[in-house]
Amino acid sequence: MSRYLSFVLVAALASVPLWLHDFYVLHVLITTGIFIIAAMSLNLLLGFTGQLSLGHVAFFGIGAYTSALVSLGFEIHVLPDITVGLAPKPVWFAMLAGIAVAGLTGYAIGKLSFRVRGAYFVIVSISFAEVVRLVAVNWVELTQGPMALNNIPALTLGIGPIELSFLRKPSFYLLVLAAMVVCYIIIVRLVTSRAGRAMIALRENESLAMSVGIDVTRYLVIATIVSAAMAGMAGALYTHYIRIVDPDIFLFIYTVTMVIMVITGGKGTLTGPLVGGAIFGILPEVLRAMAIRPEVQWIIYGVLMVLVVYFLPEGIVPAIKRSLAGWKRRTVDAL
Amino acid sequence: MKKIAVLAAAGLLAGSAFSGAVAQETIKIGVTQPLTGAFAASGNYVAQGAKIAEDEINKAGGVLGKQIQLIIEDNKSNPTEAVSTVEKLIQKDKVPVLIGAWSSTLTLAVMPKLDEYQVPMIVETSSSGKITTSGNPYIFRISPTSEMEAKAFQPLVAKMGIKKANFLYTNNDFGIGSGAEYSKMLKANGVEIGVMETMDPKATDFSAQLAKIKSTGGDTLFVTTAVEQLTLILKQAEEQQLKVKIVSCGGSNSPDQLIDQAGAAANGSYHTAFFPPWFPEVTKNPDVAKRYMDEWKKRGHNVGGLTEGFRGYDGVYVAVAAIKAAGKPDPEAIRKALWGVTVKGIYGDIHFTKQGPAGKESGQNVPVVYLVTIDNGKVVRTKF
Amino acid sequence: MDQLLQHLLNATVLGGTYALLGIGLTLIFGIMRVVNFTHGELYAFGAYCMYLLVMLLNVNFFLAFFLAVALGAALGGAIEILLLNRLRGADIDTTMLVMIGAWIVMQNAEQLTWSGVALSVNSPFPADPLVLGPMSVSWNRIYVFAVAVVLIGATYYFVNRTRLGKAMRATFQDRDTAALMGIQIDRIHTATFALGSSLAAAAGALLGPVFVVTPTMGDLAASKAFAIVILGGLGNVVGATVGGFILAFAEEIGAGYISSGYRDAMGFVLIIFILLMRPTGLFAQKERIG
Repeated sequence: MSRYLSFVLVAALASVPLWLHDFYVLHVLITTGIFIIAAMSLNLLLGFTGQLSLGHVAFFGIGAYTSALVSLGFEIHVLPDITVGLAPKPVWFAMLAGIAVAGLTGYAIGKLSFRVRGAYFVIVSISFAEVVRLVAVNWVELTQGPMALNNIPALTLGIGPIELSFLRKPSFYLLVLAAMVVCYIIIVRLVTSRAGRAMIALRENESLAMSVGIDVTRYLVIATIVSAAMAGMAGALYTHYIRIVDPDIFLFIYTVTMVIMVITGGKGTLTGPLVGGAIFGILPEVLRAMAIRPEVQWIIYGVLMVLVVYFLPEGIVPAIKRSLAGWKRRTVDAL
Repeated sequence: MKKIAVLAAAGLLAGSAFSGAVAQETIKIGVTQPLTGAFAASGNYVAQGAKIAEDEINKAGGVLGKQIQLIIEDNKSNPTEAVSTVEKLIQKDKVPVLIGAWSSTLTLAVMPKLDEYQVPMIVETSSSGKITTSGNPYIFRISPTSEMEAKAFQPLVAKMGIKKANFLYTNNDFGIGSGAEYSKMLKANGVEIGVMETMDPKATDFSAQLAKIKSTGGDTLFVTTAVEQLTLILKQAEEQQLKVKIVSCGGSNSPDQLIDQAGAAANGSYHTAFFPPWFPEVTKNPDVAKRYMDEWKKRGHNVGGLTEGFRGYDGVYVAVAAIKAAGKPDPEAIRKALWGVTVKGIYGDIHFTKQGPAGKESGQNVPVVYLVTIDNGKVVRTKF
Repeated sequence: MDQLLQHLLNATVLGGTYALLGIGLTLIFGIMRVVNFTHGELYAFGAYCMYLLVMLLNVNFFLAFFLAVALGAALGGAIEILLLNRLRGADIDTTMLVMIGAWIVMQNAEQLTWSGVALSVNSPFPADPLVLGPMSVSWNRIYVFAVAVVLIGATYYFVNRTRLGKAMRATFQDRDTAALMGIQIDRIHTATFALGSSLAAAAGALLGPVFVVTPTMGDLAASKAFAIVILGGLGNVVGATVGGFILAFAEEIGAGYISSGYRDAMGFVLIIFILLMRPTGLFAQKERIG
C-alpha cells in the first residue's frame, strides 16, 4: 500500500508546475523542498544515531560555498607570491564538488567530534559551525566575506543543442523534487541495512552496542558522512537557485530551524522531516500573508517546539500513527 | 504515507489561496530596507522618511488618480535576505518600481534580480561605484558615489593640514569602496597613508584596531560605517586617548544621534553630510527641506534621523514623478520615464545622467556634499 | 610595548565580565547539567533592564544595576520552575531542545518590544578616561571591573561557605544522597538556575552601558560563556574565573596581533581544542565525558 501511495504522491507533486502558475508559491515550494532535504539529513544524525549535532548548518553552507566557488572560479594567495586558482567549472560539476567537500568535512568533523558525547558533543558541533562561519566572514579573498558571492550561475545540463536550463522555476522545482526522492530512498536503504540497524542500536544504548562488538565510531562516522553530503547537496541546490550566498548562511538560527523541523515532525522516523519541513517551510509564508510580524512568527515556533517536546515528544508523525492505529483497532473491534 | 498526502495537499491548497491576485486600487511601490540587523537605525529612518512622502502625496491626490502604497520589506541587513525581499515584492506584490536597498552590498546583491525581472530600482543611499558602472539599466541612483564624496572633500585636505591619514571601515562594499576612493584622493594630494583597518559590521569592540591606529602616529582618522558603530568608535577612541582628527564618511553618520549617545566624545569630529538639517537654508530647495523637517518633528521621530530619512523621502517623490510621466504603473514605462524626470528634492535638483557601459547605462544623480563639525555638543558648518 | 600594555589592560577589564558569565553558566551547566541556551538572553535581559530603568524610568544608575540583577534572578527562577521542573528526569537532549525553544521566544520577545535598533545607556561617569602613563581606561570600565570582582568573590563565598552553597555542591556530587539527607532538590535547582541567571544579567547590566544594547547581543556572550565553562571545567567556579580571563587575553592578543576579524573565533577555537585534547578542562578533577 505504502509504495503505491508514495508513487501517486510523487506524481501528484510532479504535476504541480503544470497547473500552478503563481511563481511566488512555486518559489516557496522550492525553498521548502530544499529545507526538507536538509532536515532529512539532520534526521539521520539526530534521529537515527541519536547525536544532537547542532552544527549541521555548517555542512549546508560548505556545500553551498564550494559549489558557488567552483562554478565562479577563484584565486587565492596561499603565500604572498604564490596563488592557487581554479577556473570556473560547469555547474553540475560544481555541485558534485560541493557534495564531496561537505561529505569530507563530515568525515573530518565526525572523526574529531565523536571523541566526546552528550553536552560536550553539542558544544563542539556548535563551535565548529561558528568557526566555519567566521572563516567565511574573514577570508574575504576566497569568500568575499559579508559582500557575498553574487551572480552565481544557474544549473544547465546538456550537450550541444540539447540543453536543459534550470533557471526557470518549474524546472528547478522538478529538480528539487527529484533530489528529495533520491535522498529519501538513500535514507531508507541505509536505515534498513545492517549499518542502519547498528546506528539505531547505538542510539538506544551505546555501551550495550559496544559490548556486542559494534564499532560505534565507525558507524557514527558513516552516518555523519552521508548526512553531511546530503546537507551539502541541499546547500548546493540552494545556492544555484537563489544565486547568491553570504556568511550568514552559517548562522545558528538555520540549524535551529532544521532541528525544529525534525523534532516536530518526528525524529527517527522516515516521514517526520518531510512533515516538519513542509510545515515550517510553508508556515512562514502563511503567517506573513496574515501580516504577522517575523518576531511573532518565531515566538510561535519557539512555543510550538516546547509544546511538542512536552506533549508529543516523539513528534507529529508517530502521534498520528498511534492515533490511526488506535482508530483502526477501534473500528475493527466495533465490527 | 497517507497523512503525508493529506498534509501535502492541504499545504498546496493553502499556498495557492494566498497567491490570488489583488485588486489594483493602489499603485504599489516596493521598498526594501534594513529594519533589523547591523544597519537597522538608518534603515528605519529611511523608511520613516519614505512614509512621510507617501502620506504627503496621497493627501495631494496620489498619482494617476490613484493612491500610492508603499510595501516595505525588511532585508535584515543581509544580502541573501535582500534578494528574498525583492523576489517577494516583484513576484507576489507585483510592484512596478522599487526603492532600496540601503547598503551597497545589499544593492549589489539584488541587481541581478532587477535585470532578470526587468523592474527598475531607485537607489537612495548606496555609495559604491560598482552599482552604476556594472551595466545594469534598471538602476537609478539619487545618492552620491564615494568617488563624488572624496572629490568634494579634496579642497579641505590642505585646509585641514592633513599629513598622515589612517582608515577604519566596515569590511563590506560601503566601507571598502569609501576607503579606496578617499585613500586614492588623499594620495593624489600628497598625504601619507598609514594603516587601513577593517571591522565586521556587527562588531562592538574596536580596541584592537584603535590601539594599532594610535601607534602609527597619524593625524587624521577616516571612518566609514553606520551610526551604531560610529558611536562606539568615538567613545572608544576617547577612552584610548586617540588624539586625532576623526572624519566620518558615507553620510550615514547622524551627527545628532552621535552627540546624544557619544556625548563629549563626539566633540571635534568631522562628518560628511548630504543634507544639513542644522542650516537647511543653504540647500538647493529649502522649502522642500522645511516641509520634510516639520513633518518629521511633528511625528516625533528621532531628530538624529533627519540626515537619513530624506533619502526615502526623495526616493518616493522620484518614483512618483516617473510613474506620472510614464502614464501607467508599468516597469518598462517607468524605467524609460526615469531618464527624463527632474525633481526638486532634498538631495538638490534630482535628475539622472548616464553612467556605465554604453547601451546598458545606469542613472546617476549629482547631489551636493557638505562637511560639518561637532563643536561643544552642536553641529556647525566646518569653518577654516 | 605601549600597545601591549593597553591590550593587557583591556583584557583584564573584559576578563572580569567574562568570568561572571562563565561562573553563572558553570553553575547551571555543571551542577544541573542543563545546556542553558537562555544564558545569553539573560545577559541581554540585564542590559535591557538597565536601558528601561536608567533611560526610560530615570532610576539611579547604581540602583538600576541592583534591580537588573534581582530581576534576572527572578526570571531565571521562573524559567526553571515553568520549564525545567517537569523535565527533571529527562535526558539532556530534551532539556536542550526546550531551552532552545525558550531562547527563541525570549530573543524575539525582546526584539518585538524594543525593535532591532541598537540602544545606548548613559552612565554617570566622566567621559575623560583615567590615564596611567601610556595606557588609558574609561571610568565606566573600571567600575565594571570592580563590580565584577566583588560579585565573583561573593559567589565564591556563597558557594563554598554558606549552607545553601554546600547544599548545591552536594546535589551536584550525588543527588540521591543529598535528597536522603533532607535537601530539597527542587528548591536547589531553582535557586541554582536563578543564581546563574542573575550573574549573566549582571554581566549584561555592566556591559550594556559600555557598548550598545541589541536583541542579539546575547548570542555571542552565550557562546563565550560555554567556552569558559569548558575551559574551566564543569561546576568549577575558580576554573570559570580563570577561564574568563584566559579567554579575554586570548581574544585581545589575537585581535591585536593576529587579526581583529577573528577575535570572536578565539573562544570557539579554544573550545574545540580543549574538548578534543583535554575534555575535562584545564582545572577539573575526574569527570566523565564520553
